[in-house]
Amino acid sequence: MSTQFEPNIVAFLCNWCSYAGADLAGTSRTHYPSNLNVIRVMCSGRVNPLFVVNALQQGADGVLVSGCHPGDCHYMEGNFHARRRFTLLRELLEYVGVEPGRFNMSWVSASEGAKWKDVVGEVVEKAKEAGPFKRFRRDKINW
Amino acid sequence: MNTELMTAELQDFIQNHDLYGCIQCGRCTGGCPVTVRTNLNVRRFVYNALDQSMRDDLAKLPEIWDCTACNTCAVRCPKGLKPVEVLMGLRNILVVEQGTVQPTVRDALESVFLEGNPWSKPRKTRSDWMEGLDVKIAEPGEKVENLIFVCCTVAYDPRVQVLAKNLVSLLNKSGVDYGFIGESEACCASEVHHLGEEDLFLEMVESNAELLNDYVAERIVAISPHCFSTFKNQYPALKAKVIHYTQLIAELLETNKLKFNKEYPQKIVFHDPCFLGKQNGIFAEPRAILGQIPGAEVVEFERRRERSLCCEGGGGKMWVESESKKERLAEIRARDAGTLGASILAVACPFCVLTLDDAIKAKGLEEQLRVAELLEIIGDLVD
Amino acid sequence: MNNKPKIGVYVCHCGVNIAKTVDVDAVSEFASRLPNVKVVRNYAYMCSDPGQFLIREDIEKEGLNRVVVASCSPRMHENTFRKTLNAVGLNPYYLEMANIREQCSWVHEDRDEATAKAKKLIYAAAAKVRLLEPLYEKEVDVEPASLVIGAGIAGIQAALDIANAGFKVYLVEKTPSVGGRMSQLDKTFPTLDCSACILTPKMVDVANHPNIELLAYSQVEEIAGYVGNFDVKVRKKARFVDVDKCTGCGICAQECRLTGRIPSEFDMGMGKRAAVYMPFPQAVPAKYTIDPERCLFLTRGKCGKSPKCADACTAGAINFEQQDEIVEFKVGTVIVATGFDPFDPARKPEYGYSDYANVLTGLELERLVSASGPTGGAIVLGEGENAFVPKDIAFIKCVGSRDKSVGNEYCSRVCCMYTAKLAHLVQEKVPGSNVRIYYMDVRAFGKGFEEFYDRVRRGGVRYIRGNPSEIFKRGDKLVVKVEDTLNAAPLEDEVDMVVLAVGLEPRNDAREIIDILRLSQSADRFYLEAHPKLAPVDTATDGVFLAGCAQGPKDIPDTVAQAKGAASSALVLLSSGKVKIQAQISFVNENTCRGCAYCVEICPYGAIELVAISRMGNTVQVARVNEALCKGCGACAAACFSGSIQQKSFMDRQILPQIAVLGVMR
Repeated sequence: MSTQFEPNIVAFLCNWCSYAGADLAGTSRTHYPSNLNVIRVMCSGRVNPLFVVNALQQGADGVLVSGCHPGDCHYMEGNFHARRRFTLLRELLEYVGVEPGRFNMSWVSASEGAKWKDVVGEVVEKAKEAGPFKRFRRDKINW
Repeated sequence: MNTELMTAELQDFIQNHDLYGCIQCGRCTGGCPVTVRTNLNVRRFVYNALDQSMRDDLAKLPEIWDCTACNTCAVRCPKGLKPVEVLMGLRNILVVEQGTVQPTVRDALESVFLEGNPWSKPRKTRSDWMEGLDVKIAEPGEKVENLIFVCCTVAYDPRVQVLAKNLVSLLNKSGVDYGFIGESEACCASEVHHLGEEDLFLEMVESNAELLNDYVAERIVAISPHCFSTFKNQYPALKAKVIHYTQLIAELLETNKLKFNKEYPQKIVFHDPCFLGKQNGIFAEPRAILGQIPGAEVVEFERRRERSLCCEGGGGKMWVESESKKERLAEIRARDAGTLGASILAVACPFCVLTLDDAIKAKGLEEQLRVAELLEIIGDLVD
Repeated sequence: MNNKPKIGVYVCHCGVNIAKTVDVDAVSEFASRLPNVKVVRNYAYMCSDPGQFLIREDIEKEGLNRVVVASCSPRMHENTFRKTLNAVGLNPYYLEMANIREQCSWVHEDRDEATAKAKKLIYAAAAKVRLLEPLYEKEVDVEPASLVIGAGIAGIQAALDIANAGFKVYLVEKTPSVGGRMSQLDKTFPTLDCSACILTPKMVDVANHPNIELLAYSQVEEIAGYVGNFDVKVRKKARFVDVDKCTGCGICAQECRLTGRIPSEFDMGMGKRAAVYMPFPQAVPAKYTIDPERCLFLTRGKCGKSPKCADACTAGAINFEQQDEIVEFKVGTVIVATGFDPFDPARKPEYGYSDYANVLTGLELERLVSASGPTGGAIVLGEGENAFVPKDIAFIKCVGSRDKSVGNEYCSRVCCMYTAKLAHLVQEKVPGSNVRIYYMDVRAFGKGFEEFYDRVRRGGVRYIRGNPSEIFKRGDKLVVKVEDTLNAAPLEDEVDMVVLAVGLEPRNDAREIIDILRLSQSADRFYLEAHPKLAPVDTATDGVFLAGCAQGPKDIPDTVAQAKGAASSALVLLSSGKVKIQAQISFVNENTCRGCAYCVEICPYGAIELVAISRMGNTVQVARVNEALCKGCGACAAACFSGSIQQKSFMDRQILPQIAVLGVMR
């Protein structure tokens, strides 16, 4: 049995660009690791920074937030809000000692299926490097 | 295509060169400068390389050595293929697997392996040209703004050593921070790649990158466009930015650190080196330098910049003679320069100097026209 | 009403698309053990009639009140299954989908891994669906008017169709005249009918139609609002000519000091115009415009003693005091028909277009062969003593198309046929000429195209297979450096004229409309349609449609067809008069809102405002959402400190369980 650590990653994708891009990766039958699971929101601007912290508490080893390219937001400026929020959150997470590789942001458009595959590969790789995340973890489902 | 009949090696070859991506439009052969004098048809090489039985014979065709690696085929290809690299891959098969190469090629490769230069010169005499000059040598680990890379041909060939010498004098006058590498400098291996010795090429890339990364250099300044292009495009591990000396000189002129203050009353026509212009888009800087020369009249070839005609100096052609007896491209170039009434055929590449020198002699134009590298021209123009 | 969740989970095989990689039986068994799950079924095609019937039957017989469909992307079939729920009286928003196809079975190869992931996704969906609330779609009125941006043949056709159906149309055109690229063409392939003869009547119709308000020389500045209710701001640029007084007589242009000195855009720079100009004789409106960048008086404040145009105009129409004017109106739908730019061959310097006057683009030759063009239809190059008639003529196809080296991988779809057409016209006009076409493929896919290609070839035009690499001059001749690939013969073909069949590109100002309407671009940089096959005229923004080359290269018949499609899509909304709006919008818990107004600040649509309410005897400020303006992005919900503002179907308490499941489950 392989003992290699397989990280568990929660991803928040906006409906219009990144989720559609991830769909396109499927339609184009590209292959990528299965470690990442997607929660669809309408806009990356909807993602509350506490969702990210919550995911890490619930057992995720890594988190990804992905939206439209800056300037291309379906809701005009939601991804700008996201960018500002998560730039701050990233610093905060680093400050409290969470490895930088655990939290990721990306911009993937509806036509970038290939880029989505790369992003997943990269995020999984980074989480593997960072190893299992236990610091925040609560051990039972708690909502 | 039945892939079961294909060796894994061929499948890799096809994939590495994206051969299935080719649509046989002919732009590669259409643009190939040597088609006017040889049988080389690179499009057909790309097409036939898909077939196992045909491909292995392709490498034996003599015209495979006619390619000058000017890269026009790759620049023009609408599908992003690099036909020139297919030819280099075939040369690789010939050199490595079949071991049938001309003695000149073998000697050049052996010399790179043993002495770090293709000219069969001893490693320890690489810096002999510096004798009597006030040259700054950088030590590994040293911080240096401009790390100068000399090039084997410039280091050893008495005809072009003046390039390095003049560069030293200009750098000293400009007061800019620089350093040479000295005897540990070794061949950039551009020509090793083009002669088909890919293993040696990769080895050199690794050891050179290690050497160059030892310096805390802001930029590496190459004298030869061949070294420049190779470092820039085939050395992914290099930390420093790579530029050509014409970019540095143009910058020094622009910032008034250099100023030409002597007349050079000549009619100059500039020949764009393929490895500088076509391959890396550097057209403006050499012209900016020429434009600053007092007293000079600068004229242009009809075939200039992106449409410049190759001089046949690259692609290992220094060591392999073409079977064709037709007029050389360099001779066409010399003839055109003569027709323009130019007195100076200016270049920015040591290989171009050598090929065009010969061509002017072959055309009997020595009385009216001579080749001058930009560094030769400007070396004496600064007080 | 008993609101205890009773969930039905439906696992789709999608033929073998899912079932091949995901063990649907194991997944179903897993789902059956999840909290509140009453029914689990798996079926070959859940979206088929029998598949949907299973859901309907279970809702009715088993009393299900929540549904999870594990199948393809919700972007594909969420609406389908919402309708299924609705059909049997269950609120359509009690549905959650688990995407086990696009984001699972199609992207993973290992069956165990894919099965495990499918389980997680279904668990997360089941965790969320328990907490969903019923939502009700509201209807709003549709403003019975349409905005059409761009008055080329696409915009003209769309405007006419909508106007003929009885609705008001605002047709906005950036240049001084309607007509677009088609007006520059001489003949149209494959029938060779005269472009102007078929286009000008439509141009006149547009100007005279009682339902069309033509805003030429105008630009859309801003579009706010939402489907059915767009607020539009248009800048009518100053023409410096009073259009009510201008009779189009042209004396001003004759008198202008710059007459014959400014390259005419319409003639692709081959003809010359004055600073006051009408782009072409059949322009609509037939009014003059002063070019503010060229006019001496407007640029330098001085034109001799007094501007000659103003002195000459007997109608007194010249008005240098004229200002831009902002026009505002409301429409229900928008059609984007902004067209294309021809590829600029200067970006392929190897063809020498910037260096040689006798290297032309197809559109330039089009003006040259046109009877209304700068030479009156004669194929003459050069001027005065140097004028000559080219005899050896080469066409080069695929310039700027199918070419990664300039970033355009697509085929421009029109060049093969316009090249054939122009070659044919040139051959007709220049007796004894030798016309050859250098090509890499001939794509004659339209109705009558292959027949036309045959006709042109049989007429003596040589087709030589090879894509030229370089053009340079040798003496008086242009040398085309090319390989005849069928002969494996590299050639240096000496000719008098080279015509570059340049492709079509997105307009260089395409960004303006993207910024105004939030459109997306596809990989080729043209505007992105909602679906490449099934929604080719729609966009991701409801009520906004695409027509013509703005969406991708097309010929005139396809452009007109798409324009009619866009018009008909717009008319569906306009004629029904009502449109359902987004239900998944934000709402405020007024009991906990602190009135900090952070949400007000963050909302990109200005949909939130502070209102005063009475809470426990005190007057307090709380946020309130304007439901017609809210688009449901949820940015406010992420920003709220107290969790008081939430997005329906994406509430914190609905998303957190998804996170918990995906986080904990290994």
